[in-house]
Amino acid sequence: MRFFRTALYCYLIICLSSCYSVRFQVENAQWEPADTEREDAYAGYNVYTLDTVVTRKLTTGQHYFNIPDCSLGKGLHTVEYRTTFGGMLLNAVTFGRKKKVKIKYVCIK
Amino acid sequence: MATTKIDERTRWDTLHKNGPFPLKRFLTTKLEKTSTGLNDFARYNDAATEVQRLIQRAADTHERFRAIGSKWSMSSIAHCEDRMHFNSFMNLKFSIFEGEMHENTAYEHSNLFWLQCGNQIKEISIFLEQRGKSLKTSGASNGQTIAGCISTGVHGSGIAIGSVQDYVVGLNLITGPRPEDILYIERKSKPALRDTYAQNFKAIVIRDDEIFNAALVGLGSMGFIHGVVIEAENLYLLHRYVKKIPKAEALQLADSLDFNNYDPKIPNADFNGVHPFHYKVFMNPYNTNEDMYAVEFIYKIKYYENYKSDFGNPIPFQKEFVYLDLIYLFIKIAEKIPKAIPKLINALKTSILPKEEKTTVGKLSEIFWDAGFQGRAFACSFGVDHTQSSKALELLAALTRKHPVPGIFAMRFIKSTEATLGFSKFPFTCMVEIDGIQWDDDENIISLKEYSKKMIEVLKDNNIPFTLHWGKNANWEFPNLTEHMYGTERVKKWKKVRNRLLSVPMQEVFSNDFLDTVKLSEPLPLDDDLIV
Repeated sequence: MRFFRTALYCYLIICLSSCYSVRFQVENAQWEPADTEREDAYAGYNVYTLDTVVTRKLTTGQHYFNIPDCSLGKGLHTVEYRTTFGGMLLNAVTFGRKKKVKIKYVCIK
Repeated sequence: MATTKIDERTRWDTLHKNGPFPLKRFLTTKLEKTSTGLNDFARYNDAATEVQRLIQRAADTHERFRAIGSKWSMSSIAHCEDRMHFNSFMNLKFSIFEGEMHENTAYEHSNLFWLQCGNQIKEISIFLEQRGKSLKTSGASNGQTIAGCISTGVHGSGIAIGSVQDYVVGLNLITGPRPEDILYIERKSKPALRDTYAQNFKAIVIRDDEIFNAALVGLGSMGFIHGVVIEAENLYLLHRYVKKIPKAEALQLADSLDFNNYDPKIPNADFNGVHPFHYKVFMNPYNTNEDMYAVEFIYKIKYYENYKSDFGNPIPFQKEFVYLDLIYLFIKIAEKIPKAIPKLINALKTSILPKEEKTTVGKLSEIFWDAGFQGRAFACSFGVDHTQSSKALELLAALTRKHPVPGIFAMRFIKSTEATLGFSKFPFTCMVEIDGIQWDDDENIISLKEYSKKMIEVLKDNNIPFTLHWGKNANWEFPNLTEHMYGTERVKKWKKVRNRLLSVPMQEVFSNDFLDTVKLSEPLPLDDDLIV
């Protein structure tokens, strides 16, 4: 019983410390607005979410992924990436071939 | 063609969650794409045609129609149960050239800009800065649309400037579905643009001070504001410093606004005798022993390119907010134990109040930058003559100590407006406001409705003339409120102009529950119209 409790604590500590998000935004551009009922930092923002697993071949690198949602000539206003314990585990057990990508972003108006 | 997406909905809420309110349809109009090759005048006129189609549809179905921008108002002024029109994507901007100016104008053409309704303050500032210009003032943040700002009277603390509507020099209204319902209005006493320029927007020109002043703060009910012409000015910098000064000194400055012989004693700067661009007093109503008040002095200084190397970036690299969950926990405690509110406010004051003794220098758009969502907010804001500001503050603070609510007070000061129903109607209006986090009605704590009613009563009982910020919380059902604030003649003047601009059926289309509540939706009887 004591072993299981210790294992549970360790699991929780690792999970919680490896699960976080970081948000970047440009300071001098207007975000794309939306009328939603959100009650978080994105209240009033039009938020897109990308939640996927990307696969990398062994022989290639320098990947990038295109974001098609923003209007002509408009870039990103905000990007938030999130790491999770599951995502880190997936990356580790596949030796970096599979990466869990979880981002939120807002375009410039 | 501009396109409108119509969403069937059951409810709608403000940004600060002061509702929810019932709603049938939510309309979002987007401009014709630039890839079609249309120029901006054509895209603007195309949007006007689309708005007229939507107005016609509302009239045909005997429904009300209301334009909204960023829904920052906390009162229900932006709400309408039938059709709400989100116009933030209608954001074209036009510079004005010399040949487009009225022959008798006193304005400098390079300072004038025609802005479509959905332009938000931040994007306008960016557009202007690319041309070496700046807005004259803004609210405390930058998310509102220009049409929303002027409809409700958004203000900062521009002692010499006034509110946002006070630098608007022309209005483009759509008052109905017919071609002759597209109007361009400016003051006869201060003409700005040639008729031929307004005709680019297919607008009929009206030059009339009374009509312009009434339509300026139109409460969303003088038709659809499609565009505004603003007067900007050359870029400038603001020097901001927050410090604590003796309470008596802070209040004496508020009551007198006399800075002629006042030295704010700001390190590395000499503003002795200089009138500040902005003066704000913060006040925690629960700290009765406080003999020092935090005050914010902002002075206007000449713009120069390298100010960031002297003062650093006014926008912090890392912006921090108190956890919303912590705020909501605070409110739950407050609802159950209102006596704990003073202690909770004092515990959070370092997070609520601005950092002291720190100089910040930046452009207007940098000083009044993005405001993060801080939870379900409320705000009650009263306009009083600045000479009565300390008295009004003391009365409202005493009321708040008697009926504690989770908020703190501030006072800001605005020059008088010419708008007929502008709440900054005094020569210098002091806006005494309490901002805080909403609470749920509970038997232990006073309701917001009751609290705001008592605020009105205490000012009335003490013979302090007042106005209320149209976009903030108040007991709007209070009997005879609008006439008490503005007087019968002003209310009649406003209604008379509404009669002139809008047919009776269109007055119904452009009304809402808020307007009904404040007794402004009813058309002025024809006899009264002739008398005023």
